[in-house]
Amino acid sequence: MFEKILIANRGEIAVRVIQTCKDMGIKTVAVYSEADESALHRLEADEAVCIGPADPGQSYLNMDRIIEAARETGAQAIHPGYGFLSENHEFADQCAQAEIIFIGPSAKVIREMGDKLTARKIMIQADVPVVPGLSGGEYTLKDMLETAGEMGYPVLIKASAGGGGKGIRIVNSPDEMKESLEAASREAVNAFGDGRVYLEKFFTEARHIEFQILADSQGNTIHLLERECSIQRRHQKIIEETPSMAVDPELRAQMGRAACEAAKAAGYVNAGTVEFLLDKNGNYYFLEMNTRLQVEHPVTELVTGIDLVRQQILVAAGQSLKLSQEDISGRGHAIECRIYAEDPENGFFPSPGKIEWYEAPSGPGIRNDAGVYTGALVPVEYDPILSKLTVHAETRDQAIAKMIKALASYVVIGVRTPVDFLADVLDCDSFRKGEVFTDFIDTHFSDWAPNGNETDLACLAFIADELCARNPGSGLNSGQGPLPSYSPFQTLGNWKL
Amino acid sequence: MKYHLEVHDNTINPDVESRSDDRAEVKIGDESYDLEFQRISDRKISLSVNGCQVNAWVEKTDQGKTVILNGQHYFILDKDAQAQAGGKSKRSGAGAEPTTVTPPMPAIVIQVPVSEGDMVKKGDTVVVVSAMKMETSLKAPYGGKIIRIGVGEGDKVMPGDILVDIEKIGEEETA
Repeated sequence: MFEKILIANRGEIAVRVIQTCKDMGIKTVAVYSEADESALHRLEADEAVCIGPADPGQSYLNMDRIIEAARETGAQAIHPGYGFLSENHEFADQCAQAEIIFIGPSAKVIREMGDKLTARKIMIQADVPVVPGLSGGEYTLKDMLETAGEMGYPVLIKASAGGGGKGIRIVNSPDEMKESLEAASREAVNAFGDGRVYLEKFFTEARHIEFQILADSQGNTIHLLERECSIQRRHQKIIEETPSMAVDPELRAQMGRAACEAAKAAGYVNAGTVEFLLDKNGNYYFLEMNTRLQVEHPVTELVTGIDLVRQQILVAAGQSLKLSQEDISGRGHAIECRIYAEDPENGFFPSPGKIEWYEAPSGPGIRNDAGVYTGALVPVEYDPILSKLTVHAETRDQAIAKMIKALASYVVIGVRTPVDFLADVLDCDSFRKGEVFTDFIDTHFSDWAPNGNETDLACLAFIADELCARNPGSGLNSGQGPLPSYSPFQTLGNWKL
Repeated sequence: MKYHLEVHDNTINPDVESRSDDRAEVKIGDESYDLEFQRISDRKISLSVNGCQVNAWVEKTDQGKTVILNGQHYFILDKDAQAQAGGKSKRSGAGAEPTTVTPPMPAIVIQVPVSEGDMVKKGDTVVVVSAMKMETSLKAPYGGKIIRIGVGEGDKVMPGDILVDIEKIGEEETA
């Protein structure tokens, strides 16, 4: 087993990987940029190496510097998290050349699945159904307009190298095609260094269902049930749950088999995710395979009781899976909400800045994967995810109730978060009934505003704050507030998963 | 003492009578509240309103306070403080029409598809910025002539920075 692992990421996912490493008695190395001098992941690891300026191209995407950091610190393996270099085949290749284990699939699999067009071809050959669209090589504006005309609008433009909602545009009519193509292509160049885009049919009232896969290097491939990820804004998931209300045991078995087939066709080893689109008639189509740990993996961990990061590390170390398909069963219902630094009242624009106050809920069945703390800075250079709040309960209704309650005691001051928005989504009839589709937010919440029906109470809080401030003698901790900066000793040994 | 507050476009004028260091009687409209309070920390206050307990988080802002209560955000405008500061502008809400080209958040300039001297129509993209890896197009707030471009690709910009100056032309068409 590895003695030391370097985590080539930042934020909540780096913290989460460090936690499992600590559970396993493995030493950890964090890497950080100059903007992350006091970031939580940098403080939680056993060692930390500054790898460059804030610009991700010079730090978290700087392969040479990260491999050098692994060498300097004697780390035998690198966990890439999600985003950044996690799906970069060159990085996986460079790790292999440097004789450092990349905790993920091989460079070849990452390259083939990362190129959405190649992935489509492999799945078509393996008889896994794919979304109707273009599957060839280079396209001109004319090709796009022709195919879109044949399929009917709306259509989706997707980056061939894409993922994470970047480089995606929805096109409702031919006259939007040109600008959308250019924007998607430019965003793809910036995010992935590859501007190729392709076209897919856009399904309204479709669900996004994905299956968690685990495969070892001995040829065993199992799935760890599905996740429902249909609630999205700007093509980025914000609420995920398992099990899906749209998947009955028969469909689950069928899609699970297809997911395993897809993983085998790809030659997949380690943890991965096969994404499907499920239309309203119960037909499913392969969308893409994510060759990394997913943001939303905690819901799977809560219902299966399996630590996916631990499994990733064991598989990367060459061990065979101790689990067979029969061992996998889900218990209860789990829901995850992503807490981004963004303003739900203002088109979900990112809201970077300093977190003046941070207080997360806790209690039975509540898990909070956080990368921030009171006093932490949310830099403008990186993805605005602050944390993931996940709940687990016996039934879906109970999980919804638990999540709404947990969100009500989730307090972030200094940057705006969609905590109140998320609670309203969970509380609405359509969500409770499980009528969740990928266009859910646009359909039900396009002009959302805080309902704020307790204005009297809010004014009383305002007044109490005035009166308290005028009487510095009253109060338990008057004037002092939280410690001005984070110290690892505050939470050492007391971290809750 | 009387407060003059505005919450989400509702004017509320609470009448406050202090009873002791941690207790006050507050009248809002016809309602009367027995308010007890205890400061837990810099930003957290425990309230007891007519015997019912609730925690509130309060952050001071330029013209008032943001209150978080039961998971809801309330922006409370303090009209007295506002009058003292001489300010007249309200919080720029989502619906407010922009009149300048400025980013809604700290961002990095990706592209400036216009040049000085260009004529633009209302709604034309004049600057593309990226914040946290998400691209946003900043549109011309009105039609006119670009008289100055203050930024270049790769620049870091803040809300309030005027990225592009546009001289308004053709008032009647854009009104």
